[in-house]
Amino acid sequence: MTAEGGAPPFEMTGGRVRRDGREVLSGVDLRVAAGDLLAVMGPNGAGKSTLVKAMLGLVPLSGGGTAIYGAAPSRFRDWKRIGYVPQRLPMGGGVPSTVREVVASGRVARQSRWRPASAADRAAVDRALEAVGLTDLARESAHLLSGGQQQRVLIARALAGEPDAFVMDEPTAGVDAANQAALAATLRELAAAGRTVVLVAHELGPLEPLITRTVVLEHGRIVREQARADAAAPLAPLTALGRTA
Amino acid sequence: MTEMLQYDFMRIALVMAVLIGLTAPAVGTFIVQRRLSLLGDGIGHIALTGIGLGLLTGTSPVLGALAVSVLGAIAIEVLRSRSRSGGDVALALLFYGGLAGGVLLTNAEGGGTSLQSYLFGSITSVSASDLYVVAGLAVAVLGIVALFGRELFLLCQDEEVARAAGLPVRFLSVLIAVTAAVTVVIAMRAIGLLLVSALMIVPVAAAQQVTRGSAARCCWPWASVYCRRCPGWRARSSTICPLGRRSCCWRWPCS
Repeated sequence: MTAEGGAPPFEMTGGRVRRDGREVLSGVDLRVAAGDLLAVMGPNGAGKSTLVKAMLGLVPLSGGGTAIYGAAPSRFRDWKRIGYVPQRLPMGGGVPSTVREVVASGRVARQSRWRPASAADRAAVDRALEAVGLTDLARESAHLLSGGQQQRVLIARALAGEPDAFVMDEPTAGVDAANQAALAATLRELAAAGRTVVLVAHELGPLEPLITRTVVLEHGRIVREQARADAAAPLAPLTALGRTA
Repeated sequence: MTEMLQYDFMRIALVMAVLIGLTAPAVGTFIVQRRLSLLGDGIGHIALTGIGLGLLTGTSPVLGALAVSVLGAIAIEVLRSRSRSGGDVALALLFYGGLAGGVLLTNAEGGGTSLQSYLFGSITSVSASDLYVVAGLAVAVLGIVALFGRELFLLCQDEEVARAAGLPVRFLSVLIAVTAAVTVVIAMRAIGLLLVSALMIVPVAAAQQVTRGSAARCCWPWASVYCRRCPGWRARSSTICPLGRRSCCWRWPCS
């Protein structure tokens, strides 16, 4: 149960996903409580991204069920409570947008179609840019930034929506040490504010001290699960498992 | 210069050019952002069947083109979203089927009407009744872009993020396709089905060369007709457009 006694942010029971005749997730049970900082780890092709997408209803389940704050994704309406950070911004081609424009689009779940952006919207965008240290680059074209900076833009977009729960797909992939440290600082603030974070990662690096729970996926199943609160063992061996795969 | 405006057909042509210059790039921005730059061209092919139907049944070719291209746009969107592979073959069949249908129906009508004016446009032969239809459609297109702009922007950036933000992704995808279809029909009489896509794409591509943000995507060539700088709007940089040398860039309300 969550601190408020309500439904947990994410709860999957017996989740199965089948794609092109192959089972990508094979009966995953996972409950993410409010305030958890959960890392989903495992080798390439283990089904990590599929798991988090299925939790959000972006990938349909072929068996089992999943709920966001107690409601099936198709019935869930309170999407402003969710912030999704995809693996990377689709870059190249298309129309270039400034960092601020991309970040501001994260407010869409909180905005009315009939009203222009309010002072509260602009203040939230300012805070999100500041949180990831991109205030100075706000007017730059997002597609010209480095991979790590682009990742921070995507995180800022989710932050701008001021959600209760974040789902981040490989926020550390291809990100240099300085940008990983910036991400760790952002996560620390989110943890302090009691937000829930589910992140997919190969390696935790500077994020490791912040993670409260880790699950390791292999061949679409959870093979190990470790919570910092009830396990004295450090999380390092799990990191190594992700690295060797 | 002003003498030409003494003629009705020139005044109608000017209003028509302004309406098209206003709507086509506004829709084109979302289409380019979604990497569907050839969507307008495909819809143009399909619209020919509608023109043929309109001529054959003795009703308005513009309304025939509107009905068929809207249905075609919905079909394209369904094919695009449902099929991972083989979608482009289905799209090609739809496009060339539309073109062939137009030729077949026009010949069946037997009135000696040429598709030439629809393929290449003839802005000076636009009638006042055509203009009223086009003006109504232009208002509808701009209204949709203004109302759903923020949602369409996020959808065009990343469909999965849009879904995770609770946006009605299927509805918005169909809305973009239908809006593009309506724009094609608007521009059909003036610049022709073969070039209509150019007016949706080229101003956006040109704006990209000189601006950093997607504020530039709302390139308003019509503004250049009336003003060199628009007071009250934050003009960021000059944008090259087919219909004018200078234009203003509208700041998106969310930025």
